[in-house]
Amino acid sequence: MKVKLWGTRGSIPSPGPETIRYGGNTSCVGVTLSDGSMLALDAGTGIRSLGLALAAEPARLHILLTHLHLDHIQGLVFFAPAFRAQTEIVIWGPASPEASLRDRIARYVSAPLSPVEVRELPCDVSFRHCPEAEWEIGPARIRAASVAHRGPTLGYRIDDGDSSLAYIPDHEPALGADIDALEEDWISGLGLARNASLLIHDGQYTDAEYPDHIGWGHSSLSHAISFARRAGADRTLLFHHDPMHTDAQLDALGLAVRERWAEAGGAAGGMELAEEGAEYELPARAASAASAT
Amino acid sequence: MTQKPLELILARNLMSALSTPAFLVDEGGVLVFYNEAAGILLGKRFEELGTVGADEWGSLFGPFDESGEPIPYDELPLVVAVRNGRPAHADFEISSVDGTRHRVEASAFPILTAHGSQGAIAVFWPAGSSNGAAA
Repeated sequence: MKVKLWGTRGSIPSPGPETIRYGGNTSCVGVTLSDGSMLALDAGTGIRSLGLALAAEPARLHILLTHLHLDHIQGLVFFAPAFRAQTEIVIWGPASPEASLRDRIARYVSAPLSPVEVRELPCDVSFRHCPEAEWEIGPARIRAASVAHRGPTLGYRIDDGDSSLAYIPDHEPALGADIDALEEDWISGLGLARNASLLIHDGQYTDAEYPDHIGWGHSSLSHAISFARRAGADRTLLFHHDPMHTDAQLDALGLAVRERWAEAGGAAGGMELAEEGAEYELPARAASAASAT
Repeated sequence: MTQKPLELILARNLMSALSTPAFLVDEGGVLVFYNEAAGILLGKRFEELGTVGADEWGSLFGPFDESGEPIPYDELPLVVAVRNGRPAHADFEISSVDGTRHRVEASAFPILTAHGSQGAIAVFWPAGSSNGAAA
């Protein structure tokens, strides 16, 4: 399984000279499975670059949406494969008692917010609510579970052979809870992240910023470290960077992350900040961590 | 590890912050949590007791009707809520671990999700009171 980060920013795109290295595009992660099948995790503005990189391939791809906040779907109408008639796109996402996934996405992919309507997309697009039980895409087993965030929100786990990716980009597992003290089965998202080869997890706020954002659905640095420690993943990437955080600030945060991770007993290189454009090849889970390329 | 449904996790987090005695059962009726206020009422903290099977918790605390007879399990508000997926209310007596009886009103409601019932919550009030302070 190969993973590429096409968008690591949270909340709103934040392009500019101060965000070049960590990136300004919002959430999107490309996953290439062992048989070459392609998944996109979320469709923030990063999916535009993913679509351009795909050229005319593949003929079929799956987009797994964690939720429908704009920073996770904004790139849909700028995703080049959606405008090719030969492409089949399956969009997965959380169910809601209020409306179907298609109808909820169509609120964005419609006038006056969008120049095109869902029905006008040339590709063969379908919408599916994620099932409660595990399902298969190509050689991978996919699991989705609700996680603590605002509104219906999923985290995903993708197992392909012996390697596994957990993707929980918007997550506040410590809302009203002490995740250092809770039993494991009472921690939101931990079942998805347990022993993953690579965990991509919310790390939006510094500890100083978090008190002003309790209940907004995101993690502080301390919460992310605690969650990752409890999860036991080989490697963790902190993701969904706050749009106010510049490269310089994220460099400083990354240094703090490595120090705090080491103090918590984590292995060297076990936790770092996600950078747009970074690629990872996930080995079969073993003592070695996912290798950056 | 089988993770609890998010709705139960959030319910527990909320209940932990309440001063109203509150109980949480899973879809199978297992008592999976009660808060500190409920622990005061029962005379035992949840951390001391742990989870209690569906067929056990009734016998631990009662409840009892006006004549002191145990109320059938199937008629308890929590059981009605989790089995039938609808709210239920009753007043009865419960017994703390030292044998003290407390008359309470109990309101239970199911936790219904896109994937069906995940359990139920019951909140207790001292009978006749206007707030949920522990009896």
